[in-house]
Amino acid sequence: MTQNTKIAIVDDEVHIRALLEQTLEDLEGEPEILMAANGAEGLALIEREHPQLVFLDVMMPLMNGYDVCAAVRRNPDLADTTIVMLTAKGQESDRLHGLDIGAHHFATKPFDPDEILELARRILRTS
Amino acid sequence: MSKTAGYLKEAWTRQQFELAYPLLPAGTAAAVWFGGKPLAAVGEGGAELSAGAPAVLSFDLRLEGEVLGTVLLRPPPGAAAAAAAWGDLLVHGLQGVIEAQYARHSVAQETLESYREMALLQRAVSELNHSLKPVTVAASLLKEFQGHKGATDFGAVFLRNADDGSYSALGAFGAAAEAACAALVQSRLFAAMDGQPQGDIVNDLAQSPLWAGEVAEFQSLLWLPLSVPGESLGLLVLAARRPEGFAAADLKRAQTLVSVASSALRNAQLYAAEQAMFQSFVRVIATAIDAKSPYTAGHCRRVPEIALMLAEKAHQAEHGPFAGFTLDDDERNALEIAAMLHDCGKVVTPEWVVDKSTKLESINNRLGLVALRFELLRRDALIGYYRAKAEGRPDAGQDYQNRLRQLDEDFALLETCNTGGEFVSPEHVERIRRIAATRWRTAGGEEFPLLDENEVYNLSVQRGTLNPEERKIIEDHVVHTIKMLSQIPFPRSLRNVTEYAGGHHERIDGRGYPRGLKREQLSIPARIMAIADIFEALTAPDRPYRKAGTLSWAIGVMHRMKQEGHIDGDLFDLFLSEGVYLAYAREHLADSQVDPVDVTPYLDSRESSSNLA
Repeated sequence: MTQNTKIAIVDDEVHIRALLEQTLEDLEGEPEILMAANGAEGLALIEREHPQLVFLDVMMPLMNGYDVCAAVRRNPDLADTTIVMLTAKGQESDRLHGLDIGAHHFATKPFDPDEILELARRILRTS
Repeated sequence: MSKTAGYLKEAWTRQQFELAYPLLPAGTAAAVWFGGKPLAAVGEGGAELSAGAPAVLSFDLRLEGEVLGTVLLRPPPGAAAAAAAWGDLLVHGLQGVIEAQYARHSVAQETLESYREMALLQRAVSELNHSLKPVTVAASLLKEFQGHKGATDFGAVFLRNADDGSYSALGAFGAAAEAACAALVQSRLFAAMDGQPQGDIVNDLAQSPLWAGEVAEFQSLLWLPLSVPGESLGLLVLAARRPEGFAAADLKRAQTLVSVASSALRNAQLYAAEQAMFQSFVRVIATAIDAKSPYTAGHCRRVPEIALMLAEKAHQAEHGPFAGFTLDDDERNALEIAAMLHDCGKVVTPEWVVDKSTKLESINNRLGLVALRFELLRRDALIGYYRAKAEGRPDAGQDYQNRLRQLDEDFALLETCNTGGEFVSPEHVERIRRIAATRWRTAGGEEFPLLDENEVYNLSVQRGTLNPEERKIIEDHVVHTIKMLSQIPFPRSLRNVTEYAGGHHERIDGRGYPRGLKREQLSIPARIMAIADIFEALTAPDRPYRKAGTLSWAIGVMHRMKQEGHIDGDLFDLFLSEGVYLAYAREHLADSQVDPVDVTPYLDSRESSSNLA
């Protein structure tokens, strides 16, 4: 993991952002953690900062996670950005749609911190 | 780097500092250090400021009494008071942020711990509750600690025997785990754990008065009781090769898992007890059927052995017709139960039909009655002789001798036909009818035929001892088996028992009974049942109708049955090529029965019955 590793968290719920941020602080190499509170802001952040990894909520105001994901996938500059969609428990059926539009992974909220850490490590190691 | 470093973010602090800087007396240099790192520096020489240097004002940033950082100011001469006031204000603000961040982190940490526990529970519940075997529950529980980052070197689940309170290992991991378990159970420490409602951590075993180094490598230990309300089930013991191997978090995590494992273990034990009871019921029924007739003794016990041996070979086959056939534990169990119960319908078959050893046997062998009638005729002949002699007839002696010879010959024929060992030809039937027509007279002068209609009917049976009606009664046992088993609400895992058990007299050409099913309508286990049933019957000790057969004879008979479309050819080939017949024979047959068999002529693949399907 390089020093300028960037991870973006895009979620409208402040407690999810805080919990994910705190979880990701356990990652080695102190990656820079960027946050956005809605889809539009999130897409702008991703396009500006080119994070290697994005945790993207599905249900958000202004622009939902699927639209953000689709927009990121349309942008060839962001080909190296891995997207982890965050779905609420019970919305697992949405996963198929997410995979269709280019999401790589899914995590269910409430998430298992250890699983998130392991997933992030795996993604950043290979990116 | 301690996590407290995150309480003050570099970018935010720098911004805050730059916003406040214009309020300082001109020419002041200032810097903030936090968590051992410079976060911001302003003014000339700000980056080089250090506490204790001349004219440098220093303000501590604290959290719960601990100094985490410093704000340093070097005001120009005469501006110390104004700079100090600025410093107080800034530190007050930063201090508030640090405390808020600390509180937020603590709450988040607590929440994340709950998330962890919830995730662990969700995973453990499905993993642990999925198993219905105590030993699998123990293995699933231990897997949660094996290779976990806590670096647990040893783990074991001990089961408490409810009868005598003794403990035995149900599962364990680690080097020399078996020996360690045995030594552990003997220790005073282990005895002290018994019956305790709560578990604990022993951080330094060497210091424990209850530990005499029973397992030399163990330096620290964690243990927890496995229990359900009102009942102690056992113990989980984890050990490490270093002191302080376990922390409070490990105990908490183990508690979560053990609470789930305890109820899973209890359920598995109850299930195992139910299973054992069901199995013994099945065995009782099988034994009862076997005991009904001395001639089928052990049949219901031996058929499962043959069936399982053959099914196992079909399961293992990687090539040929059984490459795709698999047998999981549930199906293995279903086949065994089906094989034990395949003749359960015989409980309603009258014994006198099952055991009918001669044609004139009903409740008793009626040949004796016939013999008595012959005796009567002999007396009549003797009386006739004396009467003729008294009348002075010269050929009286010759007539008498001829009559006796005739009677002896006739009776000998009936005796032979009665056994069922000989084929009764139409000529024989003709002679039986002629003998039957002989009349005998009571003292009162009433006349009767020598054999009644029923006796003629039975003696005329061509093969074996059973007349068609009796044969039907025998065949009906499968119908009763199917009827009886259909009434048992078998669980999903045993749903095929009736099909397996009810198909053992079907033939692959569709000419079997009771349903006349064809090969493709019969499952492989049902076809295996047929082979096992026939092989056991052929090689069983004495049967009513014949002596115990030799192995080569039995294989020869079965080979003919394969050619006639009676039994499945592929399975019979497997039965021979995998040596199932021989393995069974060596274990269960008398040495005198086990003669050498050359199976190669029987294994001609061209006559494989798959063509018959």
